[in-house]
Amino acid sequence: MDVLDLARTQFAVTGSLHFLFVVLTLGLAPLVAIMHTRWARSGNPLHERMTRFWGQIYVVNYALGIVTGLVMEFQFGLAWSGLSHYAGDVFGAPLAMETLVAFFLESTFLGLWIFGWGRLPRWAHVACIWLVTLTAYASAFFIMVANSFLQNPAGAVVSGDRLALTDFGALLTNEALVFSFPHVVGAGLFTGGMVLVGASAYKLRRRALEAEFFTRSLRTGVVTAAIGIFLTMGFGYAQFAGVQEGKWDNTGAAIALGLMIEFGQLLGLIVLFVMLPMIRNLHRRRWTHPILIVMTPLPFALAILGWVAREVGRQPWMIWGKLTVADAMSPGLTAGMVTASLVGFTVVLGLLAVVDYVLIARVIRRGPQAPDLGAAAETRSPALSY
Amino acid sequence: MEMLWFVIFALLLAGYFALEGFDLGVGLLLPVLGRTRETRDRMVAAMAPYVLANEVWLVAVAGTLFGVYPLLEGRVLFGLYPLVVAMLLSWILRDAGLWFRRRIDGPRWRGFWDAMIAFGSLGLSFGWGMTLYAAATGFTASPVHPLGLLLGVVVSLLFALHGQAFLGWRAPGEFGAARSGRALLVSGLVAALPALGVLAGAAPYLLEHTAPAATLNVLSVMVLPFAPVILGAQVWVWRTFRPGKDAFRVPSFF
Repeated sequence: MDVLDLARTQFAVTGSLHFLFVVLTLGLAPLVAIMHTRWARSGNPLHERMTRFWGQIYVVNYALGIVTGLVMEFQFGLAWSGLSHYAGDVFGAPLAMETLVAFFLESTFLGLWIFGWGRLPRWAHVACIWLVTLTAYASAFFIMVANSFLQNPAGAVVSGDRLALTDFGALLTNEALVFSFPHVVGAGLFTGGMVLVGASAYKLRRRALEAEFFTRSLRTGVVTAAIGIFLTMGFGYAQFAGVQEGKWDNTGAAIALGLMIEFGQLLGLIVLFVMLPMIRNLHRRRWTHPILIVMTPLPFALAILGWVAREVGRQPWMIWGKLTVADAMSPGLTAGMVTASLVGFTVVLGLLAVVDYVLIARVIRRGPQAPDLGAAAETRSPALSY
Repeated sequence: MEMLWFVIFALLLAGYFALEGFDLGVGLLLPVLGRTRETRDRMVAAMAPYVLANEVWLVAVAGTLFGVYPLLEGRVLFGLYPLVVAMLLSWILRDAGLWFRRRIDGPRWRGFWDAMIAFGSLGLSFGWGMTLYAAATGFTASPVHPLGLLLGVVVSLLFALHGQAFLGWRAPGEFGAARSGRALLVSGLVAALPALGVLAGAAPYLLEHTAPAATLNVLSVMVLPFAPVILGAQVWVWRTFRPGKDAFRVPSFF
């Protein structure tokens, strides 16, 4: 592989790892916020346990979303400085807003939510998780604004040897954005719903004690997945109106797109026309549970296929029709540099991702008894040192 | 407008040093002060509620660098490629240590992640010293220079002292002498001094390479209205987790 292929591989590997965790964050955040709100209103211990159990899965997943996201943010400057040199005046604005307006607040409010348990007033605590959800979606929006600019450079003109921002509104109403953002939101909800479904089916199959807990979670999951896949498919097809000409001439992108559509439709049919009508007694139909468990990874795979279609289809352009990927690479970047960082990021993030999934599986296997999140403070015992 | 965004950029970077500095300092002190698992648990629990609100200042620095100084973003990060990669990996391991250490009970599991926290904190603190040296030379000299290494030691020591001041403020008497809020503020300012010094020297250069007015206007319109919310959220963190009765609880999530 030459240096360009290596740099592209590095972006693809870290970007895919990032989105595997982000897509679940987007799906679980509103669900946990709704559970927390219901708990605050009713005081029902079942709602409290749902908030803590699914909240624990949400935050364990979030850990990898953060660390992979750090690499994404710095990677632009490391390997693709040609992009900021040529289009930084335009492309940098949504990225700066993502960090300042969205992620800064998201991280702050998430810390307040996790550590404010038993310390913040009830409704202030609920407000934190809603603010986390809102800023997570704002974050996704600004990232999609930036990505859509690469697909369709609206709102900018060439001035000298660089792009200049002329119309920020055009970035926000970009035809490559208006349908792709809700498509991503739908995919997130679909993924979050299917994780609730798969985990609940696993617990119900094992005849866990918490039958009511997981029956309710299963139903919440089915409804969420149905809403999610409906949005994903609708806004998925709507995107074809604004797609760049020649995008699907790229064989790799066309294959990824085809696979995503075929399997997405199949899953959509199953969710909308089998699982949704069966929602009342799905928890009793034990033969469905292994199938529901096996389906859990599929939304993640489809989400990655979607990104492969969108990003590979953009090749050889970094910014469609304006700047090639080869020209966007940092001048002077060597294969040795990228190989070293590619190995470092892939090994470290890959191992951490595996550990994270093992930890999530462990949270599910142990069930809703006493999750770490929101654990009551111990009364301080005499120091035990050993 | 250029001046305003320079001040924001400087505030974010200095804020990162003053705030995340004590988290990294506590991480550095873990193997020194935390001889038993229980003391390490309490040290991590002391800083845990602040970490997410502190480390994000650097994310904001990077975003501002991209938005306000797009011509420098690539030059700075690419110019320090191996160092930036090493610092990112350190940051990742430090964060993973915090998120993972309590997820499984067992001395070896927690001991391993505690070592990652200390190791990652050291990599980041030392890396910052070398980065500041390279920045002071205008990214012309290699950061692996005796002066760069010396600055790495200095920044690590400053962060460790700041971490100790934080522990003394948040858990008075538990890990050394009690410290006042004023003492913590002073150690924060001292921890930010190296960054402020480099920023002062680089100011003319930064101002010269600011993004054009059209970009700054958009950023100002979109970001400045949120400044009170951003500041308010930070103040809320400090109010919620201030020391006192029930100042920090064990088990903490981290």
